[in-house]
Amino acid sequence: MQSETDKSRQPARFTDGKSAGSVDVGVSLEDRGVAIEFADGRERLIWPYGALGSSEPIGRHAVDALLTYSYQPGATLFVADAAFARALAKRAPQLTSSAQRWRAARPLIWATVGIVVISAAVWASGLSPARTIAGFLPDSARQTLGRQVLDSMTSGRRQCDDPKGVAAVERLRDRLSAGAGGKSFKVVVVDWDLFNAFATPGEQIVLTRGLIEKAKGPDELAGVLAHEMGHGIELHPESGLVRAIGLAAAVELMLGGSGGTLANVGLYLAQMSYSRDAEREADVRALELLKTAEVSPYGLLAFFERVLEIEGKEPGEKGSKIANVFASHPLTEERKAMVEAVKPYSSRPSLEEADWQALRMICGSGTGDGAGGQQGSVPAREL
Amino acid sequence: MDQVSSGPTPGPRTALSLSWLHPRGLVGLSLVNTFLRIVTLGIYGFWAKTEVRKRLWSGVRLNGEPLVYTGTGKELFIGFLVVFLLFVLPSMLMMAGVSAAFGPESPAFGIVLALFYLAVFFLLGIAVYRATRYRMSRTSWRGIRGSLVGSDMAYAWTSFWTGLLIPLTLGWIMPWRAVKLQKILTDDMRFGSAAFRFEGGSGPLYAAFAVFWIGLIAIFAGTALLVTGGFGLDLSALPQLPGEGEEPTEEQAVAIAMLGLAIFAAFIVGSVGYAVLSAWYSAQQFNHFARSTTLDGLRFEGQATGAGLIWIALSNFFILAAFAIVAGLVVSAIVIGVTHLFVPFDQLEADQATGLVGALAQIGVIIGLACFGVLLPVTQARSTRYLVERLAVSGELDGGAIAQGQDQGIGRGEGLAQALDFDAI
Repeated sequence: MQSETDKSRQPARFTDGKSAGSVDVGVSLEDRGVAIEFADGRERLIWPYGALGSSEPIGRHAVDALLTYSYQPGATLFVADAAFARALAKRAPQLTSSAQRWRAARPLIWATVGIVVISAAVWASGLSPARTIAGFLPDSARQTLGRQVLDSMTSGRRQCDDPKGVAAVERLRDRLSAGAGGKSFKVVVVDWDLFNAFATPGEQIVLTRGLIEKAKGPDELAGVLAHEMGHGIELHPESGLVRAIGLAAAVELMLGGSGGTLANVGLYLAQMSYSRDAEREADVRALELLKTAEVSPYGLLAFFERVLEIEGKEPGEKGSKIANVFASHPLTEERKAMVEAVKPYSSRPSLEEADWQALRMICGSGTGDGAGGQQGSVPAREL
Repeated sequence: MDQVSSGPTPGPRTALSLSWLHPRGLVGLSLVNTFLRIVTLGIYGFWAKTEVRKRLWSGVRLNGEPLVYTGTGKELFIGFLVVFLLFVLPSMLMMAGVSAAFGPESPAFGIVLALFYLAVFFLLGIAVYRATRYRMSRTSWRGIRGSLVGSDMAYAWTSFWTGLLIPLTLGWIMPWRAVKLQKILTDDMRFGSAAFRFEGGSGPLYAAFAVFWIGLIAIFAGTALLVTGGFGLDLSALPQLPGEGEEPTEEQAVAIAMLGLAIFAAFIVGSVGYAVLSAWYSAQQFNHFARSTTLDGLRFEGQATGAGLIWIALSNFFILAAFAIVAGLVVSAIVIGVTHLFVPFDQLEADQATGLVGALAQIGVIIGLACFGVLLPVTQARSTRYLVERLAVSGELDGGAIAQGQDQGIGRGEGLAQALDFDAI
């Protein structure tokens, strides 16, 4: 029954898988499979190529081959010869490194393609799963989350509580809330010379002393407050938290629980990218709030122009497109166009002069920045 | 199928030689694995790790025949999924829930957090034991599997309470603890029907530990001296530091710079001193463990040295870092080139160009950090080679008398070890 093909016999070691003893055998590659000849007169064995396994994938660098056979578990055949390993790989291609890698990776690659396609479809259709989940959060949970974000951001800093100033803030807030569909906001002013404003979960908004000092008139402050309320109505802070948690879980899963650095980078990016779409949505809401409250929308525009000024960039400057790719806020021109598209309506100042002056003194005079403290690491909507 | 001999048959005892056949093509394997990890969102990592292990195991030769790793990527993946769904995710949700309900600074959250850390500390022992069990059961030689036959709870409990005593004993329990834990593992290890034995106490380790411990104290005192005395600095005589928002005076600036330099120098000296001491002690421990272990008629002898371990660690770090730097530079260059096609730099204002270059440099750093582990298979092979080559085997083994163990091994991988993040190879 000896085949005509490759008759060159190789020395090899054979073990039966029942003990750790091994015997010398001769092996050759035949048409049907690997033939194993025993020196002690036992009947020769044929291991068909298709049922062979190997201890490690046989690659270009193989110096030997250790074979197993599906129908004789535990038995091994060790051939310490590189040429034999290469010749075998041609006849049993399932043993090669590339075949084994491909077999493992193919379903994973298809799964990846599927995930990417589904994500792209979700993104393109404008659905936001994070927003949907955020919508299911009970009010009490949103309040607690918001209070925590607020605490961590303002830790070590004083909340400004001059009664006249607080009353002025509340008047402004109530006036703007008229168009908010029954949502009630909590607005806090913090003694902090940072030039910023945040919306936190649970319809809570933080304004800074630095922001109030740099605003030129009550309409600008109304504009930025309406913008933050817009974020709140759209549940952006909640969506951001959900997205960050979901992303952390996904990254953890993806990296097999061993990617601390990358997970942090991902989280950072998720917090950074309050998308330009979200800013646009907040602007749309803000314009509605301002219109219902009969406050001029030009304060909003003027305020964001001031943001650019303070950041040292002239609006509309040549080449500013690139700089804005990295910024999450829509171009000033875009916002300008949006404001100018609003049909003119009759407006009156957002606050009376006395209230505005009281508001400017809400932190008292001569107060310094609170002790140390960094901006919280929890996602918060800036501006 | 009865052509082959049935069952173990005692034969002549033969000497066993242990050698290392360095796997080739590991750089290529590292690159292919990295590519496949990227295009599968990282999930291929479990299969990548498995292929690397097959290559490393195969480098270990007993009488010229390779050790075989029979684990699969699927087992590791399922193990990880189970732990992720049953442990990691519930813990995350529970933490988030408690934090949301009571607030992150509430005593309730503090208690839950403390309990969680205690639980993780206990699970660490379970994870070590199970990861060892998985690797033993997936290791075979001449078709005979290894196994770990004891109880993970017993190991974890010992690891837990002796671990809690480390601070109370100022570290002096550590040699005794290491030997006790190693003894549990070794005595539970089987190669087929043959049992490993650990015979030896922690006594011989204590002389080495005393040197290590006193050395650490000396380093600590030395670095403290370096900060205060070495640079002629007297901390109490430092000029008043500038308040927040104030510009430091020239005198203050010099003092701050000198202090920074002194702390940096102390840090370097301290780290080097610590690395040398701990490498030396690790080598002593490795040799002691080897000397105390037997299998059937085989004895082991460790010949690791502190200098050898330091060289391996340093050269491995250099290999990983060099690749990370090159990868970061190459990717940055490509990104800059592509960006240049779309945004000609000469049309940018100076500050915009600076901003853009800054952003690109950040990308380079992130890529570099992410690429730090790409060549891990290469460095793991080097570490394994060192240990195998520093392990001598003497005595004889009757291979024919060693039967296959009854333990079929466990079906899942080492998810817990991975979730707790100390999976070395």
